Amino acid sequence: MIRFEHVSKQFGSKKVLDDLSFEIEKGETFVIIGRSGMGKSVTIKHMVRLLSPDKGRIWIGDDLVSEARGKELSRIRLRFGLLFQGSALLQWLTAGDNVGLPLRQGSNMPQEDVDRLAEEKLKLVDLSDVFHKHPSDLSGGMQKRVGLARAIITDPEIILYDEPTSGLDPMTSRTIDALIESLRVKLGVTSVVVTHDLHSALSIGTRIALLEKGKMVEISTPQEFIRSKHPAVRDFLDANFITKKPDWETHPS
Amino acid sequence: MIITREPEFLPETPNVFARLGRAVLLSCRESGRALLMTGEAFLHMRTMFSTRSRFDVMYQLYITGVKSLGVITVVALFTGMILALQTGLELRRFSQQVNIGTAVCVSLTREMGPFMTALIVAASVGSAIAAQLGTMTVSEEVSALEIMSISPIRFLVMPRLVALLVMMPLLTVYTDIIGIIGGAIVGKTQLGVSFRAYFDNAVAFAHNKDLYVGLFKAMVFGVVITAVSCHQGFCTKDGAVGVGLATRKTVIVSFLTILVLGYIITRVFYK
Ligand SMILES: Nc1ncnc2c1ncn2[C@@H]1O[C@H](COP(=O)(O)OP(=O)(O)OP(=O)(O)O)[C@@H](O)[C@H]1O
Ligand SMILES: [Mg+2]
Repeated sequence: MIRFEHVSKQFGSKKVLDDLSFEIEKGETFVIIGRSGMGKSVTIKHMVRLLSPDKGRIWIGDDLVSEARGKELSRIRLRFGLLFQGSALLQWLTAGDNVGLPLRQGSNMPQEDVDRLAEEKLKLVDLSDVFHKHPSDLSGGMQKRVGLARAIITDPEIILYDEPTSGLDPMTSRTIDALIESLRVKLGVTSVVVTHDLHSALSIGTRIALLEKGKMVEISTPQEFIRSKHPAVRDFLDANFITKKPDWETHPS
Repeated sequence: MIITREPEFLPETPNVFARLGRAVLLSCRESGRALLMTGEAFLHMRTMFSTRSRFDVMYQLYITGVKSLGVITVVALFTGMILALQTGLELRRFSQQVNIGTAVCVSLTREMGPFMTALIVAASVGSAIAAQLGTMTVSEEVSALEIMSISPIRFLVMPRLVALLVMMPLLTVYTDIIGIIGGAIVGKTQLGVSFRAYFDNAVAFAHNKDLYVGLFKAMVFGVVITAVSCHQGFCTKDGAVGVGLATRKTVIVSFLTILVLGYIITRVFYK
């Protein structure tokens, strides 16, 4: 569904993606983890051509997104929903209007139907009573969920989530995980999830990829992932206390 | 036209000429992009009455027109008063002070009206547009619009272009009227020209052409302010500092362009 072929990307003298190749299947939930600043957001932005590669090609199904422009690009982008790392809500619109924006501006749906759908999607992300509030009146985590509701309102076939659960409490995070999982099971949505939350990675991912120094050093199922011998993976798991107990458990004072 | 652009990394050069050449090339490219963007906004104007754009257009008309009225009134009044006083004192030496009517009316409608209005609108509305679009650009809201296949040019630029195209001539007429009244007040109180003599003189010698040229200028200035402020907003990078810089550049570039174009237009119409 999404195929990276030898993609390289450099910002000035800083190499971010280095000959990166991988493929994401239809109906998969592909989780990308990695340290901060390793290029996870950059990878996601390449999929919708907010950035284009210096070298290499990116395919979305049969569409070559890395060279698309104009109408062609609009058509490809309509297949996507994207949750930005920083939510990117329009500040002068209410939460409800933000969620309904893609339908209000991109289709001829009557206003009542748009509002009803927006309300529905807000419920899905566990938000009620925010419809008439402005983003500046919402907490960071709530803004994130409004952004998520906006990303899914057009029922896109591919959804890209840039850190959907960062800044959320564990209970709400599990709600979001359940939402991502149900979109995959019920609607066959292909998802790409960037996250620092290893718990959600292991529970929702059909495959997990670790991005390190511009390459995917490990791509495997959650079961294989926690048994991987790769040192970078081990570091990641240790840091999340998956394989090693924290000090306060092993040395109770 | 794609608004979200990749960050550019140009190699440093110590050579002064190379730097100068690059600055010239870059500013040509930026002007070209601003013009293309404005052209596209003109094309999108056919959708201005559609349900999805109507509200935004109305709102921008309100912001641009009504919100600048207060400051424009004061500036217009004093521009007219200064013009009357300045020319009146000279004319009085030849006992011709009754002609300030013409002097004020012609220079206001042809030159000072559109010019002063444009400066104020550029400084208030233009800088606000640049700051708003700049903030939206750095917080990725503009990218988000593009991903949703909502053209930022249709959604953000077109309503502002319509508002400035409609409001600039209206505000200019308003400036002209208030300025002429200001001139009359000075004429009456300081130069001993009665209101009747002042307005008779103004009407007798002023031409319609002066008014039309002034209104044409006002519309051109409206396009300039939209083009500069929206383009600067979309080119913003580096967070809050960048927003400040974009605002600053908007005011400077629009002032200079308004000044130069104002001269050129007068030059073309009055040989
Ligand atoms: N527009 C840009 N201009 C210059 N450098 C950039 C740009 N975008 C990203 N980078 C660089 O690319 C690298 C990867 O950035 P990216 O945002 O993808 O990190 P990330 O993996 O998403 O990190 P985080 O987990 O903190 O979000 C960073 O080192 C950053 O400096
Ligand atoms: Mg990121």
